[in-house]
Amino acid sequence: MRVARSSVLVWLCLTCACSGTTGGQRVVFSAVAVGAAPNFGKTLEFDNSVGYHVTLTRARLHVGAIYLNQSVASSGAQETACVLPGIYVAEVFGPLEVDALSAHEQSFPYDGEGNRVAAKAGELWLAGGDIRHPADINDVSTAPVILDAAGTAEKNGASFPFEAQLTIGENRAIASSDPAYPGANPICKQRIVTPIAVNLTPTNGGKLVLHVDPRGWFSGVDFALLAQSSKNPLLYRFADAPTQAADVSLYGALHSRSGVYRFTWE
Amino acid sequence: MPCLHRHVSCSLAAGLLGLVAGLSLLWPPRAHAQTALVATPPPAANSDSAGVTAPRLVERVEPVYPPEAAPEAQGPISVALIATVSAQGSVTSVEVAQTAGQAFDDAAVTAVKRWRFEPARRGQQAVDSRIRVAIRFASPATAAPAVEAGAGAPPPAAVEPPTAAAAPTATTSAHGSPPSAAPSYAAATSVPGGPPAAAGLAAAPAAPPPPTAANASSATHPEPTAPQPPFEAGAHARVHAPSRGTSDFQLEPGKLVSVPHENAGAWLKLAPGILLTNEGGEGHAEQVFMRGFDAREGQDIEFSAGGVPINQAGNLHGNGYADTHFIIPELVTSLRVQEGPLDPRQGNFAVAGSADYELGLLQRGLTAKQTLGSFGTSRTLLLWGPSGESTGTYTGVDLYQTQGFGQNRDGRRGSLLTQYEGRSGVHTYRVGATAYLASFHTAGVLREDDYEQHRVGFYDTYDPRQGEDASRYSVSAELDSHYDQMIVRHQVFGIVQPMRLRENFTGFLLDPQEPSQSPHAQRGDLIDLHNDANTVGARGSVQVSDRALGQPQRLEVGYFGRADFVDSTAMRVEAATGHPYHTDADLSSTLGDLGLYADVNLRANDWLALRGGLRGELLTYDVLNRCAVQSVSHPSRTNPPGDASCLSQQDFGAYREPTQRVSTAGAAQSPRASLVVGPLSGVSGSIGYGRGVRSVDPIYISQDAKTPFASADSVEAGLSLERKLGEIDVSARSTLFQTRVDHDLVFSQSAGRNLLGGASTRTGSANTLRATGRFFDLAGNLTYVHAVFSDTGLLIPYIPDWVVRFDGVLFSDQLLRAEQARGHAARGSLATGATFVAPRPLPQGERGDSLFTLDLNATVGWSMLELGVSCTNLLDTQYRLGEYNYASDFHSAAFPTLVPVRHFSAGAPRAVYVTLTVHLGGEP
Repeated sequence: MRVARSSVLVWLCLTCACSGTTGGQRVVFSAVAVGAAPNFGKTLEFDNSVGYHVTLTRARLHVGAIYLNQSVASSGAQETACVLPGIYVAEVFGPLEVDALSAHEQSFPYDGEGNRVAAKAGELWLAGGDIRHPADINDVSTAPVILDAAGTAEKNGASFPFEAQLTIGENRAIASSDPAYPGANPICKQRIVTPIAVNLTPTNGGKLVLHVDPRGWFSGVDFALLAQSSKNPLLYRFADAPTQAADVSLYGALHSRSGVYRFTWE
Repeated sequence: MPCLHRHVSCSLAAGLLGLVAGLSLLWPPRAHAQTALVATPPPAANSDSAGVTAPRLVERVEPVYPPEAAPEAQGPISVALIATVSAQGSVTSVEVAQTAGQAFDDAAVTAVKRWRFEPARRGQQAVDSRIRVAIRFASPATAAPAVEAGAGAPPPAAVEPPTAAAAPTATTSAHGSPPSAAPSYAAATSVPGGPPAAAGLAAAPAAPPPPTAANASSATHPEPTAPQPPFEAGAHARVHAPSRGTSDFQLEPGKLVSVPHENAGAWLKLAPGILLTNEGGEGHAEQVFMRGFDAREGQDIEFSAGGVPINQAGNLHGNGYADTHFIIPELVTSLRVQEGPLDPRQGNFAVAGSADYELGLLQRGLTAKQTLGSFGTSRTLLLWGPSGESTGTYTGVDLYQTQGFGQNRDGRRGSLLTQYEGRSGVHTYRVGATAYLASFHTAGVLREDDYEQHRVGFYDTYDPRQGEDASRYSVSAELDSHYDQMIVRHQVFGIVQPMRLRENFTGFLLDPQEPSQSPHAQRGDLIDLHNDANTVGARGSVQVSDRALGQPQRLEVGYFGRADFVDSTAMRVEAATGHPYHTDADLSSTLGDLGLYADVNLRANDWLALRGGLRGELLTYDVLNRCAVQSVSHPSRTNPPGDASCLSQQDFGAYREPTQRVSTAGAAQSPRASLVVGPLSGVSGSIGYGRGVRSVDPIYISQDAKTPFASADSVEAGLSLERKLGEIDVSARSTLFQTRVDHDLVFSQSAGRNLLGGASTRTGSANTLRATGRFFDLAGNLTYVHAVFSDTGLLIPYIPDWVVRFDGVLFSDQLLRAEQARGHAARGSLATGATFVAPRPLPQGERGDSLFTLDLNATVGWSMLELGVSCTNLLDTQYRLGEYNYASDFHSAAFPTLVPVRHFSAGAPRAVYVTLTVHLGGEP
């Protein structure tokens, strides 16, 4: 009887034990990327804002990692450091070569981890991401191809077959013009696309979908300004450096915070 | 609110659980058991039918074992004395009623003449009385080790009071143990039958049975009617504060000393709700969880040893950092743990409570101990207590070293503690010194995902540069003066404590590229912290006793003052080069703390007492910040600060000194009161309220801040039960409590320490149960706490809801009776300690793992030798001693890992240690 009485009390105590929470919940989720859905085949046709009809035959994006954070997305230059410990909600590690022309889900190699906290901004890290070669985001010694695209642009009967292979390394370094701020332009600011507005809360077992619309990359490109790479076959190539307006336009669009990249939660 | 109600209900349930468990043991499950409880008459106290109260021993001098008799002595020797106690409480004459030879008679008479009593009374009037006293001398040769006798299981006769000559006899000891079981005291008093009282003197009745050390440790009666436990009874011993109720634990480990305890801090676990963790290594202060507080390394607990404070005010690693490793465990005779701020004697840092170690050496002579064990561990201990001196005179030297389990846990430390205690007339004086040196490495924390992915082993480390070098030197002098109705105490102390700590909780996370810095990658987060603290201080009190309402009434007025001169720096060290690259803090602080208190112990009658008073605390801060400017909004273009940490410019490059001084002060008044009632024999209850304060970290000081401290208000109610079941002393107690803190501390992994947070509330119940018999001593405690932030209602991370601890020992001092017949009985013990901690809440809604550890120790002894084998973590559980949930980057992925994940510091695997102890000379 005594044992039974004590057992009941133990049970009562234990049932109300370990209750409550410190807030939040750790979540593990999958992450995929999808490209723009083509109407047919593996090409994507569209008209850009400067009058070109563009047919993309290849559009691949190297994604090193995705981060979701609690900061409110805002326009304007990123004034703060690239990494702000304490604000992150979720992270997904690549690398993943996203075929931006494929509407099929392309899975990241690792599950994402995070907490059940509302995310307001997303970050797309366009850098290495090989677990075998951990590197600082500011390390310029490695610079994989981030954007690999090819296609044809046509305007007024002129055709501009083109290719683009962009990297972000020393070729994108911007020296500081202010001696008071020697570290004002770290390469990480070139490699991280942020803030991308989101409004989602990660849940355990859910799925983060990165939508990549390659049309945005070329929406402002005047292909006539491209340097001709070869005549036979005719080919125009985007320079992997900010040399021409078309190059700058594509490189800038690669960092678009809206219109190109979008996150959804399923 | 429903949630709060639920957790109050849980606390009540936990309390009921403890009490029912206690009651189940204390009272047989017969139908009338409860009736018997209620019907138990009030304690007879010390009043006989004629209205004469027996004299009460208040000071006792331990008889000294005659050195010349030692070689011949075989077994215990008793001397019976008849002593006359004057109306003033002094012993005016002593007659030998039963001789044991001249040497022993003289030793006994000499000691008893120095005893002092609260005199017998007839009504309100003090009268002369005669009492019978039996002094038992245990042969050094048959005595058990001093440390075993230390405590909870007291020597049978040692705690027996002198009894009035006309008293009924009590010829057996409290445990009924044979005399030879009295192990460690130079001599012991017992209560044999005696002749009638001498004519013409008041025939004082027998005092009621005294508490054993076991139940004395839990006694909460308004006024002990029996002599204090052995450590308190000596004339040289400090006078302990009266109990504040069920949350006041006077811990005397007794035979439980056999339970493996890695250091003096581990004794805290005998009090309920205590969890100790340590991610800092062999010599790093234990992280203490008490009563729902994550006190880190002592920030919320006031620690002291022999009255000398241990907390380091202004320590940059944690304001109030308290490292108890300098205390040699074998020199701990008792430990008072007051959970909650209920005693006006408790000062700064006593938010969760306080812990005061009493040091002494019970086993006189020379004790040498050598331990060898797993992981290249060795420990050499020498203890010396000169014969003829009190237990307060001792010297201990402890040398320890280990290679440590897993990676990067090697360590070595040494400790020297010495004190001389002497007496001159009414004065008792103590002069002591300590020296402590420690150097060790630390494994630190590991990411759970790295362990699960086999990127690191369970006992590995990320950063082998982590570790600590610490030392502590102190001197103290103390004077106690015992007058008729007054006890005056003064103590001064000086402490020097250099410390260097290197720890890395976050890997490569906290060094992002700042615009004003030269381009760089993450350089590493290793904190190299140096803290150099010098402390001087004094404390004292005047205690006045008188009688009113037919009861002894007591008033104590005391003071405490200390000044801390602290020099501290915290730098970040580059992983690649080992060079410091950034200064986080560079402070020079002068901190003052002056406390005054008044404490009364007012008794309305035999069973009702009000204890408490008021404490005033003045805290002053004078902080020179030598790195006051670490960033500038608009730096100079012509003189850019670059990578410098401590800048000499302000906006637009205007020059300014990099240093800045701030000073402020704050005062607090802390009322504290406990009402203790004990109308029923063996049952007492208490309610209490108290406010405690904690000074703030100097780094938070801003000029003329209004309240440079945090305060906690604590209320509690408790019930204590004590009963003797045959030869078994059983005690149980349960306390319900709630504590509100206005500025709590929350662990920050980036700072590697606790930082100020918001307000919090803790509601819970602490319960203990202890049973002591002839051959066993069992103690268990269970605590439930619901700790939440007051504004959000969210749980406070890291604080365990449930902590359960069990300590038990089986012992015998007569393993081989044949050997005893030849003069030396073999002795032995088997002890175990078990800890269970329910899954701890972690940040972001996570829960840690439950924790269960089991330790075992076996000893056999014969004559001067003792051999012990102990095994810690007997089940070889791979457990996480410390658990965290935060973001870190130890290069587990190609890019920074920025979301919180589980981290842990590994608990020790199974380890086996063999200890050989030799006692030479001295009295047992």
